[in-house]
Amino acid sequence: MSAPNCLRCLLQLRPSVAVPRYVASRSTAAASAIPIASAWTAPFSTTTARDAKKKDKSGGGTHIRAGKKIKLGKFKKNTTADRGKAPAPGERKAYRKKILLSNNNALPVPGLADLSAEDMLNPKNAATVLSIPDAVVDQLRASEAFKPTQCWGVFRKPSVLLRSETIDLMTRMKGAAKQKQTLRLVVTGDRITGKSMLLLQAMTHAFLNDWIVVNIPEGQELTTACTEYAAIPGSDPVRYMQQNYVLKLIQAIRKANEKVFSKLSTVHSHPELPQHIPVGSPLMQLANSAKEADNAWMIFQALWQELTARGRPPLLFALDGLAHVMKVSDYRSPAFELIHSHDLALVRLFVESLSGAGAFPNGGAILAATSRGNSPRTPTMELALAQREAEQAKDAAADVPQPDPFFRGYDERVQAALRTVQVLKLSGITKLEARVLMEYWAASGILRTTVDETAVSEKWTLGGNGVVGEMERAALLTMRL
Amino acid sequence: MVFILGNNFHELKLVKKALESFYALGPQASARVLAKYSIHPRAKMGSLPPKTITALTAELSSMTIENEARRVVQDNIKRLRDIGTYRGRRHAMGLPVRGQNTRTQIETAKRLNRVDRKG
Repeated sequence: MSAPNCLRCLLQLRPSVAVPRYVASRSTAAASAIPIASAWTAPFSTTTARDAKKKDKSGGGTHIRAGKKIKLGKFKKNTTADRGKAPAPGERKAYRKKILLSNNNALPVPGLADLSAEDMLNPKNAATVLSIPDAVVDQLRASEAFKPTQCWGVFRKPSVLLRSETIDLMTRMKGAAKQKQTLRLVVTGDRITGKSMLLLQAMTHAFLNDWIVVNIPEGQELTTACTEYAAIPGSDPVRYMQQNYVLKLIQAIRKANEKVFSKLSTVHSHPELPQHIPVGSPLMQLANSAKEADNAWMIFQALWQELTARGRPPLLFALDGLAHVMKVSDYRSPAFELIHSHDLALVRLFVESLSGAGAFPNGGAILAATSRGNSPRTPTMELALAQREAEQAKDAAADVPQPDPFFRGYDERVQAALRTVQVLKLSGITKLEARVLMEYWAASGILRTTVDETAVSEKWTLGGNGVVGEMERAALLTMRL
Repeated sequence: MVFILGNNFHELKLVKKALESFYALGPQASARVLAKYSIHPRAKMGSLPPKTITALTAELSSMTIENEARRVVQDNIKRLRDIGTYRGRRHAMGLPVRGQNTRTQIETAKRLNRVDRKG
């Protein structure tokens, strides 16, 4: 049988009832000093004479132990319970994937300048935080350069840290474009070291310099068999188009590059297209003609032909999540064989450009970023990137990794694709860059400590020698709600 | 609603699931049918073009599924019974066929083992 009153409550109750009035009425300090008072407290309680005030106020006896509750009919389901409205199809995903780019609660950072076309080339701008102009933000959003995992939503305005690798990459891009050559580069590095962010910066640079930007935000969307595909009629060997994805891509390209497209007109006639587009008609007209998935691939080919015609602005072709396009895809051919990713036409276009087979006549860059959080195991790609990195290291080419002679899973096509690419390996940021970044966080009102040598060192070390994402976790984690 | 082989399917139903709703068409066969018509495994019925739908109906009507597949099973059982095998007799009696105990737990056998087997 359970007692109606909690024993602890009773123990608390006792002194207040039993202590003589003259003791209780004295000041609390005096009461605790008098041995009589402590003698009245419960023998096994560690809360000696706890809160003399409390005793006076309530007597402490109000708490009644709940005990076992008997609930009748507990097995009957309450069928009438209102569960609320179920989310509409796609609503949860939309919430999961939403990208917030500004937060009015964050403080505006005084003296934060907008990026201009030349800012990313100037070595003096290494280790500075600059914000992305609004027009470019729209373009980046249209080309899906922002990721839901990046925490843009806690700052007032999207801003980026220009690190030394940024300046290096942009200078290389600029140099390549100047000589009408194509920079073919893979950004790799450990987890959350800022690979996708570097791609975003490259796109920002391209938009600021009126390049044409084509971005495939996630390689996996193309190869995990989650979008429509069909064999391209008359192709031998058979290639596959992904109509719906390509339609979406054309619309993204059109929206992101509207400014450049509006100045350009077509130079080829495209007799194969259903819609008649004569030579000299605006490029927007061609891009706008993609309304249905059926002829999207054809229009994309025409658009690509136009974009790579002579006399166009430089082109940036970017892809994130390279490992996914360097493996056998999850699609199956009509003969029930798995299709290699490089047989998917859009992926093929990218891979050919990356391998150097399809260079851009107007110069530009083909950038790919690997991913560590979400990537299938691709031994060939890992090996090829490690080899290229070792070859490009200045000291000696003696330690170029060799393939494992006892492993059969290497992929010839992947090796061929990555034979001549450049590799940019990202690691942690320097302490100076870390300091600048933390000062920006502090100025935005998010990091609420003094940014001094100690604080920077602490976060830099906690973040595995300046891995940006880890630093962010160490410093801003409490803000992620 | 999408109409395949006399059945209506909701537009949001996965094509794979819709195919597997037919008797004697399991994951293996459905994966092959999907590959044959270049339908990706996560496609919904609503996304199929009309041409593919008629092709699917034609494909399914050429396969041994539904009543035809049931008849094959029934014929097998009938054959066993007609030649007087033990398995045939046990089928006719609605009892387990492969030497199981029959004191308890023979509900599945009771339900399924019959000469005109339905499922």
